[in-house]
Amino acid sequence: MIRLRQLAPWALLLVFTCCQNASPGLWDAGLEKKADLLMRVEHEEPRCFAEGMRDLTCFWDEADGGTPHLYRFTYTYENEESNECVVESQQREGSETRYFCKLLKVQLFGLLDIRVYRGETLLYNRNLLINLVFLLDPPANLTVTRTGKPGQLKLSWLPPPLKYMENSMMYEVSCTTAGSRMEKVVQGNTEFTLRSLRPGTEYAIQVRVKPDGLTYDGYWSDWTLPISMRTLPDDADPLILSFSVIISFILVLLSLTIFLSYRRFLIKKMWPLIPSPENKFPGLFTVYGGNFQEWLGHSSGGLWQRPGFFYLEELPVMLEVLSEATMSPPVQIQPGDSRAPGLLKETTQENEDEMLPKADSGMEKKWDPDLQENWLMDQFQVLQQSSTPPSQSSLLESKDAYVTLSQNFDQHPGEGKLEDISEESLPLHVLFGTTETSTSHPDLGSLPQSSGSSQLSSQSSFEYPHNTWPSKSLTYACLTMADSGISTDYSSISSSRTGMECIYTNDYKNQMPKERQPLATPPTHTGCWVQEQHNSSPT
Amino acid sequence: MQTYVVIGLVAVLLIVLEWTRSGMPSVLKPVCDPRVLDRFIREAQDTEVAMVRLCLSSCALSLSLTVPLTSVDFVAWDKKNVQEQAQEVQSGLWLLGKAIDVVRASVSNTALQSMLDNSYSNIHSIRQVIRTLNIQDWSPSPTESASLDTRQVSSTPELFRVQTNFLRGKVRLLLSHAPACHRSSS
Repeated sequence: MIRLRQLAPWALLLVFTCCQNASPGLWDAGLEKKADLLMRVEHEEPRCFAEGMRDLTCFWDEADGGTPHLYRFTYTYENEESNECVVESQQREGSETRYFCKLLKVQLFGLLDIRVYRGETLLYNRNLLINLVFLLDPPANLTVTRTGKPGQLKLSWLPPPLKYMENSMMYEVSCTTAGSRMEKVVQGNTEFTLRSLRPGTEYAIQVRVKPDGLTYDGYWSDWTLPISMRTLPDDADPLILSFSVIISFILVLLSLTIFLSYRRFLIKKMWPLIPSPENKFPGLFTVYGGNFQEWLGHSSGGLWQRPGFFYLEELPVMLEVLSEATMSPPVQIQPGDSRAPGLLKETTQENEDEMLPKADSGMEKKWDPDLQENWLMDQFQVLQQSSTPPSQSSLLESKDAYVTLSQNFDQHPGEGKLEDISEESLPLHVLFGTTETSTSHPDLGSLPQSSGSSQLSSQSSFEYPHNTWPSKSLTYACLTMADSGISTDYSSISSSRTGMECIYTNDYKNQMPKERQPLATPPTHTGCWVQEQHNSSPT
Repeated sequence: MQTYVVIGLVAVLLIVLEWTRSGMPSVLKPVCDPRVLDRFIREAQDTEVAMVRLCLSSCALSLSLTVPLTSVDFVAWDKKNVQEQAQEVQSGLWLLGKAIDVVRASVSNTALQSMLDNSYSNIHSIRQVIRTLNIQDWSPSPTESASLDTRQVSSTPELFRVQTNFLRGKVRLLLSHAPACHRSSS
């Protein structure tokens, strides 16, 4: 018993050494894996790699059925004699045989001359530096932990257990998630923190190692077994989200209240009210589309020829001449005309500041003999009844000028004038005042009056014009001028003006068809102007 | 009076020079950073690669140069003590310096010239680094030089390959395991 026990370790040792020498199982699975890896990257035969500081393994593949005794492997270091290594073989699939040789005593940093002979022929010859053909084992003890932050993982592993090579390693980390793979090279350190990962996802981490190439060099090792880890989900986000929602809501409320309280102010600032002269020129923009000529009156051609006409101080006082202008306007008018001068004269004589009512009154006097006296009275009454009467006198006495819309001024006989009844109606408004005149100061463009007149044209208040002049198109132009002493010669204003003609055709819409026919004479006449200066009374 | 001052200054200067020449224990801080030698190794690598590219026709040397052996057997190396290792390293550096000097004189290409100058200065810098590690300077004696482990090279690329591997191997091992550095760390 005792002998056996004493013998046992020796026996074991014997077996062990025998096995070492024969080394049939030298080619294990680890070597197989490394050899396969090397097959892909190294193409120089025989393929050699060093696993550590004290070994070198070389192999080559042949398809000759496994006859290792045929081969001779010799290696020679610098300045030394050649040595021989025993070739071993490993059968592989098919007819392929892998022949290999492992050196156990190696010298680094010096050239090694390797030769492989098959029989007497030199099969391979290779010179290499062993420190440049390292193929290490994958790093061990890879651990993956979560840091406190989402999207981060901390890795750590052990370096290869080689004495002189601790600081000469570089590593590669690969993290794989569904569909994507990311690889990163790490120099020197054996721990690493992965950042900017997607939170809440599962990652598979792997690491491999290689000498950094400065002193030692080699091939990339195999990957470690993957380790899966799930990153932390974004937990802070709901909090941030709710905060941001609340704050934005508060801001919106604040802005709304500010806006509402300063709404008017803001609107004024943003869309300031651009003053428009529309209210002073009734109908100018709406009816005539901004055509000031037309708005002033169709027969205002004469007026237009005199731009000075529009200046307040230069506007002559106008005497409107009411005349019948239908079939027999000329007939009737003539007497009127004959009167008109008288009227005019009268007015001029009477008053320099010939105002409308006075002129009217003057005319009225003259008209009395006419049958239209009543009509005149009515008209004057209307005038007085209008809102402007109180202002009328003042108006008339003022130096402002009323613009009489007289189509009369239109030089073109009857063309469009008869048709533009609305325009024709304007003078009436002016004459008779308008209830709608808002402006008490008839400026040159006392448009409100005219606009009112146009509106009133259709009113019943102007029925009498319609009634009283069924056959007559009464036209007159009323323009109260400032009494600034304008001396304008209007004698030449109207080309159509005859000596005694002061016929104003007043075309109303509803009467247009009627009036057209009866009107034989060109209805357009310039307004009779009463000039304060008397001279150029258009007679 | 002035002559006395001058004599005194000269004496001081001579004393200082003597101290430096005799290799007094360096008061310099030991250079233990491995990156220092790594830089020299990188430059030697670049020179080796460039030499193959540049020397073209003038690669072959007219006469063969003596260079140290570069291969290292770790087992045998560990058995040696620091002094032996240092001696091996220093003699090798000296041989390399001499060889580079010879090549420098014979090369006319300016690019090669600058690289050779750089290598020469690197060799001297490494010798300085070794001196900081409290390793005694070595200078060749006629008796020793014959027994050195050397070999002959006949081309410039081969020379620089030898230089690179010498730095990678023996010099690096010596510096990384120098007692002056390990005393402080471990």
